[in-house]
This record gives sequence, C-alpha cells and structure tokens, in this order.
Amino acid sequence: MRMIITGIIFSFLMPSFCFGSVISNIDKSKIELSTRFDGTSLLVFGAISPRDDRASLLVEVVGPPTTVNIRKKVQIWGIWVNKKIAQFQGIPSFYQISISNPKNPILEEIEYQRLKSVFYDFLETTSISENYNATEQYHNELIRLKTELGNLSSFKEKINIIDNKLFSYKVNLPKKIYPGVYKIKMTLIDQEGLELSKSEQNVNVSKVGLQEFLSSNSKNNPVFYGLFSVIIALFLGFFAAQLFRWLYR
Amino acid sequence: MQIFLPIADVPVDLFVLLILGAAVGFLSGVFGIGGGFLMTPLLIFLGIPAAVAVATEANQIAASSFSGVLAHLKRRAVDFKMGNILVVGGLLGSAVGVEIFRIITSYGQIELFVSLCYILFLGSIGTLMFLESLSTIQKARKPQNILKHRKKHNWIHGLPLKTRFKSSNLYISAIPPVVIGFFIGILASIMGVGGGFILIPAMIYILGMPTKVVIGTSLYQIMFITAFTTFMHATQNKTVDLLLALILIIGGVLGAQLGARVSVKLKAEEIRILLAIIVLLVCLKLALDLIIMPTDLFSITYSARS
Repeated sequence: MRMIITGIIFSFLMPSFCFGSVISNIDKSKIELSTRFDGTSLLVFGAISPRDDRASLLVEVVGPPTTVNIRKKVQIWGIWVNKKIAQFQGIPSFYQISISNPKNPILEEIEYQRLKSVFYDFLETTSISENYNATEQYHNELIRLKTELGNLSSFKEKINIIDNKLFSYKVNLPKKIYPGVYKIKMTLIDQEGLELSKSEQNVNVSKVGLQEFLSSNSKNNPVFYGLFSVIIALFLGFFAAQLFRWLYR
Repeated sequence: MQIFLPIADVPVDLFVLLILGAAVGFLSGVFGIGGGFLMTPLLIFLGIPAAVAVATEANQIAASSFSGVLAHLKRRAVDFKMGNILVVGGLLGSAVGVEIFRIITSYGQIELFVSLCYILFLGSIGTLMFLESLSTIQKARKPQNILKHRKKHNWIHGLPLKTRFKSSNLYISAIPPVVIGFFIGILASIMGVGGGFILIPAMIYILGMPTKVVIGTSLYQIMFITAFTTFMHATQNKTVDLLLALILIIGGVLGAQLGARVSVKLKAEEIRILLAIIVLLVCLKLALDLIIMPTDLFSITYSARS
C-alpha cells in the first residue's frame, strides 16, 4: 500500500522536473485537402531533457477514428465473391510510431503494447461471420492492409536527435488521408518503458474549396446536389451544342 | 496531374481521364453510340468504385444526349409523343433500378453485380456486332439484292390502349413503349448506360418506327432518364461524382465532334469489327477479374463517416 501511494506521488512529480521533460511544436497546425492535394509532410520539433541517456523519445501520429470493413473473397461457382466481412470501429485512419533509440532492448515490447492499445483496446468488432480466432485473423489482415496502404508504420521513420536535447521528426502523409484531427504525441520513456513526460500537438485536416463543396453537399444536401449535377450536365450539353454549331456554321 | 475525386475518394490522373473521355467520345462519334457501356467498365478498371462509375456515367450521358437532342430538334426528327410515353416507362424503371442498386449495395455486392451485368451485355452485344459486321463484309464482296420485308402487322397491333403517333406515322398501343422505356430505365440506373444499343433496335423492329425519327426520339428519352437516374443516385446512394462527370463531359464532347467528322471518311462496316473486338476485350477483362484468383483475398473499405 505504501508503495502504491509513493508511486502516485512520484507520478505527479515526475513530468515536471525529477525524471525529464519534453516540449514540442509543429510547423503547421492545419492541412487543407483540395482536389489538387497530393500528400504532404509535417515537421515536428522540440526539446527533451532526459535524466540520463537511457531514456528514449517516442513519437506517435494518430489520425481520426474510422469504421473499417475487412472483406474476404471466396470462390463460388468459379467466381471470386466478397463473402465474409468483419467490421472494426475506432480504427485510426493513420498511425505512425517512431522511437529515438531503435536499438532499445524492449522495442518489441513497446511496439506490441502501443499497437495493442491503439488497435485493440478501443476496438469494437460489430459484425463478424466467424468465431474468435477469425477475429484475430481479420485483425492481422487489417494491420497488413493498412501497412500496405501507407497508413500504418511502426519504427520505420527516424527521429533526429541533436546532443540528446533537441529533436526533429518529419511525418509524410499519403495522398489519401481522412479529414479530422491528427494527434501527434511525444512521450519520453525510461529504459523500462515507463512514461517520464508527455507533450501533444494537434493538426486539423479539413477539405477545402471544390472538394469540400462537393463532398459535404453530396452527404448533407443530396437533393440540392442531385439537381445541381443534372443542371450542370444539361448546361454543358447545351453549351457544347451551341459552341460546335457556331464553330461549324 | 493528380486530382483527388471528392465522391469516388480516389486520386486519379486528370490527363488519363481526359484522354479516356475523348477516346470513348471519339468512338461514339464514329459509330453513333453513347459510349456508356465502354466508359463505365473503363472507369472501374481505373480503380473508381463501380457504384460511383455507374452513377457518374449517367450524369455524363445526360449532358451528351441533351447536346444530341438539340441537333435533332433542328431537323424535327423527334417524335415527342412517343418520347414522352417512353419517358414515363423509363422513370418508373429508373426508380426501380436505383432501389435494386441500393439493396445490392447494402449487401456489399454491387461491384460483382455490375460486373456480371456488363459481362452478360457486352458479351452478347459484342458477339452480335462481330457476326453482323462479318456477314455485311461478306455480302459487300458478293453483291446480292435481298429485299428485307419489315412486318407491317405483328402481335403489337393486338394490344389495347391504341393511340396515334403522328411523327412516326403509327397507330399502336401505348403498352409496348412503356414496357420498353421501363426496361431502358432499369438498364440506365444499374449499368450507367443510355441504353441506345437496345432502345434503337427495339424502336425499329418492335414498334416499327421510321428510322428518321428513331435517333432523335431515343436521345430525347435517354436525356430524361439519365438526368432522373443521376438525381436518384445522388439522393439514394450518394454516388454521383460531379468533378469526375465534368472531366468526362469535356473529354467526351471534344472526342465525339472529332469522331463524327472522321467517320465520314471511314468505312464504317470494317471498323465496326474493331468496335466489336474492343467490346469483347472489355468483357473478357471483366470476366477474368472474376475468375482469376485475386492476389489478395482480403480487402479494406471504409464505412461512411458520420
């Protein structure tokens, strides 16, 4: 009991001065998705003051939550058909984790814990046509497919550390990203993986211009959007007819 | 140049789309076809979801058929009464088709359904076109004079609700045009085609309309049906990508004008075989995609975000 109380007291004191701290900033706080959006990058930078050089910095980039369906094709009468579906909720549209010290002996343990907390703990499997083992299998496929799409990477990107005090980190976002709030979490951990200090930055990703106009009206004002699409098409048809009549008079 | 399509939710190359639109437009100008039955599968091959390809193609055809109708109106080659009756059937068919589309989408099988419809239609149309062109070429080599008698009276004339169509010089029942229109409406809404390749033969051989009003009247019906189908898809399935439609309309209009001018100088029957081969190749590609074991059995999709 005494140990727990001591632990709680220490954990309150920890971040500020005893065991180290991390401060951070980013080069942009919003990203605009236009029809010309072709991927972008973010620069995260800051300072750490670790107590000793055994501490490591973890940087996580967590995109907005999405509902994801994993479909499996099966062969029916000689053709391949999407048959089995598993649906997962609360899956980050984008997730990237990096560590300042890739030779950390407990790296695999950290990776396992982090991926578990991001992809399992908030996970709600709403529908699946098979048993629990299948959920596990579908979940592995989810991780694999998201990695292939460039929406998930663990310990692939490097964090630049200068003099064990300053850090900078570049995040490359793919062409297809979901709008919403992207959280960038910096955590200083000791050699056992315990958190020493944390810092968080938010980036707001939103659709703009024509992209925003079309996708929001299609969703929210479908009647207007439908009429608008028809009118634009008829106008262009009329315009083309007039144009070519004039050209070939 | 990459652009991101807002509804299809995929990045595509603008020039690829413009060239594709122009190429299909060119073929439609040369052969006098709408081109929807080529464009929709090609969009699917580019990675655009089948549901978006179908709905957006309906929007493009609304533009091209309106442009066509205006040209035929000048020549007074539209039978409005027949057109309006076809439209009535077509609107019903389109509403039914969009509902079928919505139900199949909810089962997650729309890609398969659209593919199967296309394999069936492209396979049969491509084969027919191929055989017909072959026999026409053979006949042209051995000139023969065979007069084809069009039946003046068939079972159509036994149906009730007869009415007079002045422009077509017909006195027939209103039931067959409604049924034909209904069928075209379903085709337009589940395949993203104008349906001219079914409608025109049906008007000539089933209704017995004179060829001079057939094309104008079919365009008249197709314009209303595709406009209505676009609206229905936009409200029921939210799958009309207006940006994609705009690009295809621009490419298509330019290609069609060029095609129409080139077609005068070409031997239509011989290049018709080329069109038949293109149709059969597209059909084959769709079929192979269903039969060959996919490299990845698993796929990922995102549910609509709230």
